[in-house]
Amino acid sequence: MSQTRIGLVVPSSNTTVETEMPAILGRHESAEFTFHASRMRMAKVSPAQLAAMNAQRERCIIELGDARPDVILYACLVAIMASGIGEHRRVESLVAEQLATGGSSAVVRSSAGALVEAINALGVKRIALVTPYMRPLAEQVVGYLEAEGFEVVDWRALEVEDNYEVGRIPGERVLDAARSLDLSKANALIISACVQMPSLDLVDAAEQEFGIPVLSAATAGAYSILRSAGLPVDIPGAGSLLRADSTRPESNSPTTIEGAI
Amino acid sequence: MTARLFVLDVPENVPIVEIARGYPGVSLEKVGPYFVLAAESNVTVDRRSTGVRHAVWYSWVGGLEGWQIEQWDRDAFRLVPR
Amino acid sequence: MSELSAKHLVSGVDHAAFPTFDPVATVRFYRDTLGFPVVHSICAAGWGPDDHPDFIHFFFDIGNDDRIAFFYYFGLEAPETSRGKGDVYARFGSDTPEFFVRSRHIALHVNSEEHLLEYRRRLDASDWPVEMQIQHETIESIYTHDPNGYFFEITRALRPVTPQEDLDANLTIDALVDILQQPGASMDALLVRKAELIMERAENWQDEQEAERELIPSPEGPVRR
Repeated sequence: MSQTRIGLVVPSSNTTVETEMPAILGRHESAEFTFHASRMRMAKVSPAQLAAMNAQRERCIIELGDARPDVILYACLVAIMASGIGEHRRVESLVAEQLATGGSSAVVRSSAGALVEAINALGVKRIALVTPYMRPLAEQVVGYLEAEGFEVVDWRALEVEDNYEVGRIPGERVLDAARSLDLSKANALIISACVQMPSLDLVDAAEQEFGIPVLSAATAGAYSILRSAGLPVDIPGAGSLLRADSTRPESNSPTTIEGAI
Repeated sequence: MTARLFVLDVPENVPIVEIARGYPGVSLEKVGPYFVLAAESNVTVDRRSTGVRHAVWYSWVGGLEGWQIEQWDRDAFRLVPR
Repeated sequence: MSELSAKHLVSGVDHAAFPTFDPVATVRFYRDTLGFPVVHSICAAGWGPDDHPDFIHFFFDIGNDDRIAFFYYFGLEAPETSRGKGDVYARFGSDTPEFFVRSRHIALHVNSEEHLLEYRRRLDASDWPVEMQIQHETIESIYTHDPNGYFFEITRALRPVTPQEDLDANLTIDALVDILQQPGASMDALLVRKAELIMERAENWQDEQEAERELIPSPEGPVRR
């Protein structure tokens, strides 16, 4: 079985990425993954701390590069989306240049770019989302996704500023926020637009409940990692996005919405 | 036989061509953007008489037909039949 | 064959890169003395098959969106430069002719005498004063060596390049390529071959230029840029 080394660049107060990503990719049938994280100091999800955190990116890439990873995921969505429209392309290309300059063959993805990639892969334009962020940052995330060509039909901001506490938000609260959304015009639900807000266990259940594809920053990140590594996207129990290449009959997935757009 | 010297028509070269055309037996024509200095015998151009700078003096010659360069230094440029 | 196959597509120098063993002086020279902004840097390690040390790759803006870049490798020992000639990248014996050592250099362009003299002023006030200021045929240049020993020129055009100079350059190079097929090539052989090419091509070229000028009248006459 092939082994793929995944480098994760995570905010220092993040406790979810290193839990959810191995949990998701550990269910892959034909590939094994190892995970190696490097941390950027950040406690409060504020514009000042996000900017300070971004300045640590190069050091994290250096540390991860030494472990010769196959894929590196820059796992802080809001840090990128709050820095300006299209920022994930700029950051990904800077990291790619840094890796290539040092002779690394690792590919780089960001959770921000992965979310855009995953929504596009679903073939949908109208989305709804739940975020843990303070309202001004949540508005930036919404604006960022709209600039990528999506229509955000409804959204919620749970307004938790302390990033450690974001990792403690109960699933019930996330689901309640999702239930309060007007999903009548939505073709997909992003149940957590944040890699720190735990949501993996909610994704499949929410697809059942809402009848549309449900994804999270984590499942989108896993999707992007698999695609970038050239591995089949076939993981059970984490939403229809991660069954894109599945050949098994899907009894519990929502009907495809592509015809309805 | 008439021998010919080709000189590109750019402003820096004009003073040299002006001096050379005044020598007895030297005629001046144009071929495209080149001056053509023609003569039957030896021609010597005195560097000081042209007043051109060092870099021009050592780069003004464009082509030789029937002549060869016998001298090309800080004093003079001298052509003799090949 | 695509429609691009015959086109000249590049647009300038993205970057020209050199190693440095003295990034402090390099930054003082390019950024603090000449005023070239630092526009990019990369911190990396040797992750590929070449196991090289950690390094910084940094870039200065040289105008026109072009860049000069340096590599600084942590812990890499600097070459012995107290003897011989050359720079930190390439060293030559003391008996190597100066013209050869200086033949490899970088020349940056300025648009006026005023701008050239401004850079002369900046350099003269620094640890790297101008070593020569020379008027060539159609250009004027100042020269110094940067802290790494790289021969460094700033130049301005004394007049625009004329179309006939492009023709002349092409005839020279075609003549050079022709005569180098034979042993014993010399300047004499080049000038004889070039006279033949002038007779073959100069008249036609002139006619084409005049035909073009009739199509596109220009107040500057034959001057192209």
